[in-house]
Amino acid sequence: MDTLEVQPLNESRRLVPSPSDRRPLEPWQDPKAAPYVRIERVTKQFGDVYAVDDVSLNIFQGEFFSLLGSSGCGKSTLLRLLAGLEYPTSGRIYIDGVDVTDVPPYSRPVNMMFQSYALFPHMTVEQNIEFGLKQDRLPRRERAERVGEMLDLLRITELRKRRPDQLSGGQRQRVALARSLAKHPKLLLLDEPLGALDKRLRENTQFELVNLQERLGITFVTVTHDQEEAMTMSSRIAVMDAGQIMQVDTPTAIYEFPNGRFVAEFIGSVNLFEGKIVEIQGDDVLIEAQFGGLMQMRSLQPHPIGTPVVVAIRPEKLRLCQTPSDDGVNRLQGVVEDIAYLGDVSIYRIRTGGGTLVEMTLTNIQPRTEQALTWEQEVWVEWSPTSGVVLTE
Amino acid sequence: MRRRSWPLLSVLAFGYAFLYVPILLLILYSFNESRLVTVWSGFSFKWYGELLHNRQLLDAAWLSVRIAALNATIAVVLGTLAANALVRHGRFRGRTGLELLLTAPLVMPDVIIGLSMLLLFVALQQTIGWPDGRGFSTITIAHITFSMAYVAVVVRSRLARMDSSLEEAAMDLGARPLTVYLRITLPLIAPALLSGWLLAFTLSLDDLVIASFVSGPGATTLPMVIYSSVRMGVSPQINALASLVVALVALAVVIAGVSLRRR
Repeated sequence: MDTLEVQPLNESRRLVPSPSDRRPLEPWQDPKAAPYVRIERVTKQFGDVYAVDDVSLNIFQGEFFSLLGSSGCGKSTLLRLLAGLEYPTSGRIYIDGVDVTDVPPYSRPVNMMFQSYALFPHMTVEQNIEFGLKQDRLPRRERAERVGEMLDLLRITELRKRRPDQLSGGQRQRVALARSLAKHPKLLLLDEPLGALDKRLRENTQFELVNLQERLGITFVTVTHDQEEAMTMSSRIAVMDAGQIMQVDTPTAIYEFPNGRFVAEFIGSVNLFEGKIVEIQGDDVLIEAQFGGLMQMRSLQPHPIGTPVVVAIRPEKLRLCQTPSDDGVNRLQGVVEDIAYLGDVSIYRIRTGGGTLVEMTLTNIQPRTEQALTWEQEVWVEWSPTSGVVLTE
Repeated sequence: MRRRSWPLLSVLAFGYAFLYVPILLLILYSFNESRLVTVWSGFSFKWYGELLHNRQLLDAAWLSVRIAALNATIAVVLGTLAANALVRHGRFRGRTGLELLLTAPLVMPDVIIGLSMLLLFVALQQTIGWPDGRGFSTITIAHITFSMAYVAVVVRSRLARMDSSLEEAAMDLGARPLTVYLRITLPLIAPALLSGWLLAFTLSLDDLVIASFVSGPGATTLPMVIYSSVRMGVSPQINALASLVVALVALAVVIAGVSLRRR
């Protein structure tokens, strides 16, 4: 439950460092830290389409940063802009304090792992890894050393004489990673690094990738459409939609404190209750809900009375009761319409009087609950003021 | 071994017979003793011997091979450049024009290409004094203009199928555009270059129509010699020469096949 204890929420409040919660692992909390990658108002147009629309972003040294979004949201274009494979229509990009906006890809201190891996089919694994080192005109001995080091690091030494078409998907992924790490870049870009792997392999590789990143201390920027992947691996996530960044934050903050409806709905499942603020009580606000009751929620930003708001509550933060508690707020009556048993948890869909469907998950603590819920059973759904967030669209 | 039905086998046999029996007959009759092409009178290497002493035929063959080789080489260079422009450089100005110009020689009748090339060379000679007479160079130029279109088609499809992220990856690893082209693109499209070269070589070797238009005195290609001598009656020497050409082409195809499989 430590997730509920996370205090900092919106950008403005989080940027003020309090001595107690300042941790060295979170450079974005430190106003004095210089970002390693600085993207300044970058726009990329393809014809009439804005693939990247006025994006500004700071990425710090040692971060595992993820660009998350559905396909076509501009995340890959943003990555290609960092690699130099595209040039921005407007805006500047700085890496390590140097303006690289107009620097061609072969002169940037950046390497990229491609989604298709892009291994050179006419070269062996060894030659693939060596390619970048040859371009730097490293002496032969040093090249051999570096290749050996990479083969060791990714445990692919026995594959070194093979060609890419003699490798499995997982092996290719390791070779691609080895090749992109061989030049010891300070910034590694990964385009859907696990996209081509099957589920089992993907989960193992996720942790391996994070370990590797921590061990080498390289800044990673990845692109993914898989929110689970982004949550597991990232220090911070930028959620993108239609070429714009909707929210940049840690996985926890993105999940617990989305800054708007889009992010709330994009990450995980969420119940949204619309309403209007009618009263302010200290840190809490009283909201007249459209479903007909009153909600009392903790509000992080001050809103004037009368503001239309949306309350977003995750399914696992709702409680299910047979009889209503007596305070009269934050509750809904309904009947169980659907039950999906997933083993560890069960998902319940509750049809309320007003017709809205509420989704909630309950952990299956006991092998078989004695008062197991059944279809068409009348229940009360309840939550507390800190269970969700108040969003203004 | 899998059993196959006899109708299928006979269709296959007929297909192969249709393609190869004429060639086999030609090779067989090149070893014919008789002066008459159609009458078999015994096995002999006689005509191969006589061929070796027929300067006219040998000169024509050598000229044809030289033209074909030079044509193929230049056509591969130009065709590859054109294919690169079309596949890798997006929508530049004049792209549609280039595409049309490239496909025109594929569909244009040889007679028209030959005639228009002849008019061009004559006009050029009158205005700038070059080419000074027609022969080796005019035939080669005429052949390049149409065979580079074929090369471009072959190379273009190969380039289009090639994953462009390979080139991007090379660039990302620090290779400049020229290095990327030489170390990544060229090796990967090499099979297409080879087949383009062989295609251009063959196209030039067997062209009669265009060469007849743009050739001049003293520059008679092999097809021209064969064609004109057939009108006087086929000499078995032609059979011998044709068999040698078949052997040469077969050898080239086998070499190309083996080297492609090795890749």
